[in-house]
Amino acid sequence: MLLKIVKTTALFTLTTCSLNAGEFNAQAEKDRLALIDYMEAKFEDPLKNRYTFFPYSTDDELENNIEKGLTHEDFGIGNYSFSKQGKFSYDQIKEMPPYEEIVESGEELYNENKALQKCFPDVTIAGDYPYFDEERKEVISLTSAINDCIVASGEKKWNEKKGKMPILQSYFASATTEAEKKVDIKITSAEAAAAYERGKEYYYTQRGYLKLSCATCHVQGTGQRVRNESLSPLLGHTTHFPVFRLKWGKDDVYKGIATLERRMAGCVKDQGQNPPKASSKEMKELLYFMAYMSNGMNVDGPDIRK
Amino acid sequence: MKKLYSMAIIAGLALSLSGCTTPNGSKITSLSTAKTDKDKDGVMDISDQCPNTVPGTTVSKDGCKIYTSVLDLNERELCDVKKHGVDQVLATASKYNNIAKEHGVEYKRQGVTTSGYIEAAKEAIAAGKTIVHPKGDKTKKDFTVEYVAQRACKFGIGALVLEAEGKKNWREAVPGDGYKY
Repeated sequence: MLLKIVKTTALFTLTTCSLNAGEFNAQAEKDRLALIDYMEAKFEDPLKNRYTFFPYSTDDELENNIEKGLTHEDFGIGNYSFSKQGKFSYDQIKEMPPYEEIVESGEELYNENKALQKCFPDVTIAGDYPYFDEERKEVISLTSAINDCIVASGEKKWNEKKGKMPILQSYFASATTEAEKKVDIKITSAEAAAAYERGKEYYYTQRGYLKLSCATCHVQGTGQRVRNESLSPLLGHTTHFPVFRLKWGKDDVYKGIATLERRMAGCVKDQGQNPPKASSKEMKELLYFMAYMSNGMNVDGPDIRK
Repeated sequence: MKKLYSMAIIAGLALSLSGCTTPNGSKITSLSTAKTDKDKDGVMDISDQCPNTVPGTTVSKDGCKIYTSVLDLNERELCDVKKHGVDQVLATASKYNNIAKEHGVEYKRQGVTTSGYIEAAKEAIAAGKTIVHPKGDKTKKDFTVEYVAQRACKFGIGALVLEAEGKKNWREAVPGDGYKY
């Protein structure tokens, strides 16, 4: 009888634990699916649904420059998914992308550094970061993981925004893309779920003297025009980093490539707030939330942007 | 007769006091204010620094509103350079911006943080200058010390007010949560 009670209790505990482990991402999954629904509804027929989604756009824009009928995976290439003019230029540049030699340099950096090889034996990992470290109880971004490795090997930590960091990350992103891997962000504890929630709150909170949230432009504002730029969607934002920006690399190709942290810091500055540091808790949790929103999408980095 | 004489002296004194002004132009409080409390906040007008508070407001011993939430802060009033002077407005800016920095919500405009504006204004005052060029300012414009002090103050308070409002309303932008379409 006693044995039966012990067995039943053990089974109950095991079942409860495994059920809970599966539920930690329940809210995140709900958010992700709601975001996909929103973006697909928005671009189902922009002209027809203009009063709901594009109140400030002209007929000409909606008829001639915004694609319709987009589905989930289409959003992986940012605003080029819906901007016909932008996509035309994008396709032309992609025929001979300026980041190819950067990827090769990243591979050299990796091959010359035994510590990096030891820390990252598998280089097809771009879709697995950020992750929540259950021992350290914090989010680890790819940038912070690389710097942890570099510092542990006795080297001075790398610049988190430009230079060797995005060059190495270009190699990782390219290898991950070639391996046809998808974004795979996990939330496996209450602490990880709390970190995700804080990142989500950061994303959706208005900040800066312009009182903009990230979502103002990249959820509700997606597809709308600011001057001559179409605003890109949150969905798929992290799939293609590091990114080569034409405006950064106009004088030196190696200055054109930068990490997601640099881009996000630029966005927060554009909102009118002093941005968080690249390795801060706020930044890493923000990236954790953003990456989860792209879960299941193809890794497609590095990429180019204006 | 003696009584009439005394009354005339008191009346004369009251009249002359009510007409007197301080060097900065404000009137010296008349004797009658010692016994009146116009805004009925429990602080006699003679010592009420804020004589027009809204009825029902909780006030401090100087008769001014006690702020219980950052959302109660009156940015326009607190950052009024004409009313409080540049030094006081800069002190207010520092007070609130330090909290904004701690919370990670400090404003930044055209390359200049709120701290940068405060620092630039203080340096200009120390050097006896009236025009400020904050370090890193992308606009390269000339700003007066008063303007920079006021901007820093509004930015310091504004960042905290926005943060407090954001805590209440951020979910309104989340598809599948507060955002409906």
